Amino acid sequence: MSRATAPTTSPAPLSVRPAGHALFRPGRGSFLVHRRAVLVAVVLAVLLLAAVVLYLCVGESFVSPVEVVDVLLGRPSPDQLVVGTLRLPRLVVGLLAGVAFGVAGALVQAVARNPLASPDVIGVTHGAGAATVAAMSFGLASHTALPYVSIAGGLAAALLVYVFAWRRGLHASRFVLVGIGVSVALGSLTQLFLTKGDFLVAQQAKVWLTGSLNSRGYDQAAPLATVLLLAIPAALWAARAQRAASFDDDTAMALGIRLDRVRLGLTALGIVLASVATGATGPVDFVALLAPQIARRLTRTAQIPLLSSALTGALVVVVADLLARRLFSPVELPVGVLTAAVGAPYLMWLIARTRSRSGGTTS
Amino acid sequence: MARPTRRRIAWLVGCAVMLLIAVLLSLAVGSRQIAPGEVLQALLHGGTSDDAQVVRALRVPRTVIGVLAGAALAVAGTVMQGVTRNPIAEPGILGVSQGASVGVVCAIAFLGVHTLTGYVWFAFVGAAVAAVAVYAVAAGGYRGASPVKLALAGAAMNAFLASVVSGIVTTDAHALDEFRFWQVGSISGRGSDVIGQIWPFVAAGLLLVATMARGLDALALGDDAAKGLGHNVALLRVLGAVGATVLTGAAVAAVGPIAFTGLAVPHIARALVGAAHRWVLPVAALLGPVMILASDVLGRIVFPPSEVPVAVMTALLGVPFLIALVRRRTVVAA
Repeated sequence: MSRATAPTTSPAPLSVRPAGHALFRPGRGSFLVHRRAVLVAVVLAVLLLAAVVLYLCVGESFVSPVEVVDVLLGRPSPDQLVVGTLRLPRLVVGLLAGVAFGVAGALVQAVARNPLASPDVIGVTHGAGAATVAAMSFGLASHTALPYVSIAGGLAAALLVYVFAWRRGLHASRFVLVGIGVSVALGSLTQLFLTKGDFLVAQQAKVWLTGSLNSRGYDQAAPLATVLLLAIPAALWAARAQRAASFDDDTAMALGIRLDRVRLGLTALGIVLASVATGATGPVDFVALLAPQIARRLTRTAQIPLLSSALTGALVVVVADLLARRLFSPVELPVGVLTAAVGAPYLMWLIARTRSRSGGTTS
Repeated sequence: MARPTRRRIAWLVGCAVMLLIAVLLSLAVGSRQIAPGEVLQALLHGGTSDDAQVVRALRVPRTVIGVLAGAALAVAGTVMQGVTRNPIAEPGILGVSQGASVGVVCAIAFLGVHTLTGYVWFAFVGAAVAAVAVYAVAAGGYRGASPVKLALAGAAMNAFLASVVSGIVTTDAHALDEFRFWQVGSISGRGSDVIGQIWPFVAAGLLLVATMARGLDALALGDDAAKGLGHNVALLRVLGAVGATVLTGAAVAAVGPIAFTGLAVPHIARALVGAAHRWVLPVAALLGPVMILASDVLGRIVFPPSEVPVAVMTALLGVPFLIALVRRRTVVAA
């Protein structure tokens, strides 16, 4: 779907050191670092740290930052239950899911060169959702197997969209339309499974489906962390190759890069990450769409920065869940409600200011 | 009589027969199978047998609501496709149905409205606001409202409104209790009082749309051509929007959001009788109920003893249709 759309930004000059970059030569290797990107990453990390502390402090009862640090360092504390048992596991799941959604969106958008091609739009989250609800409702998979069911569902949905959208090539607009259609179908299949299953299970599944961190814990964090540990290095490695492709396909080919394989690999990685995050938290809509876009605007780079996207994703999820918990207290909103309430208008704004020809591809 | 006209009349009659069969099936099939003879007996002569009670108290209202909602949604889709000149315009995809849902939820949660006649007005307002917003978003930027931009704007609007709905129902237990019965598009469990409140709106909407059939034909030629033919393009658009909003609002208020009927039926109708709206509109008004009733009957028999809501069935039947439509090159280029 990417070849049809030329990048709208002009290619960076092929000088040894592009503007705004610093050259590092540690040992034998050498690599370019975008100065602004580093600055943004540092600022984001600081903000994320502040959000994490705030997240652990604020809740039905306020816990002072000093005591939070006590709990984190394992010192005996009266707030062990609230901070260590209730808030911390939930925060960890939120952080990991945010990183996964952010990186997933960055990978898919970078390959497609299209901000609208987020995992939400191409059916991944609905596929993961339908598979998980089916497994829950019919008792097909054990609790620990659910994350893998969800990955399988996400991959299957993406494959389905790919197959249906393929017709003498992959046209971006056809891809998006088919993605929306398949999402709707999977959404109603999910409804169907909900009505078929046991009532209590259906209620659990329904809460999960709104994208919530409520009562999430290390059970969900473990598979998420495992996948992230494997996927992030792979993504970083493949992104180097993708960067060469940002000039044009011929240059990349001359550099000996198998572009089609790199693209396929990056897309598959993005889909796996989005699916496993969905398995842990339920579909927290629009984080995968938003995070890379915010990161790209902050770093002002043509490529979508992986690190900043990951940090932004985590920041968005943590802040959104903090707001969702406190905004209407004592009632807690599912975090997915909040991200959709912010993300959907942003998507509409993106659509309204679209200038490119293929009706929805701007970068 | 010219041959095309004879063929169109044949299709019109054929669709009416299909509707008759669908109505009969809807009355006869269910957890209690009732023979068609018994159904007729119960309709014509009443009676106090269990079968007769089921037919008159449950199946008849359900079927009539299906007919009203199906006709309303299909005609609304036809008008939206005509006015926007866009093949994928449809109340469900464009978020108009979801807008009506938000209107209903707000009415329940904030204004203490608890009757269907009360809902209807809020459904209209919600549907209108969502329709205008989605069209405005999609029409911005390059090339105006292309299918992709309309679909994306609609998907975004659907997601946004869905989050508003779940935000309201999670903070308001009473609203959730009342809303959850209504939310999943279904034509079961809606009593005959719903029919009495809904049909004037559907009739008014259909009448309004019927008067603008020729205007819609002119719009299909482009704004300039329509102006040249002496039509007031702006007025046509407004009337079309009002008609589609009234029809969608009434249908959604009665049965909850049901997608894809408004998408598929107009295309089928055009394939049968050509592009002229004075033929497409009546055929769509007959086929819409056929689709709703057939989906509903199918939903009753796939997983006995429980029933699948009609909205789920129409989506599962409608999505392959959307994909087939998208795969045709002409649509993507539009």
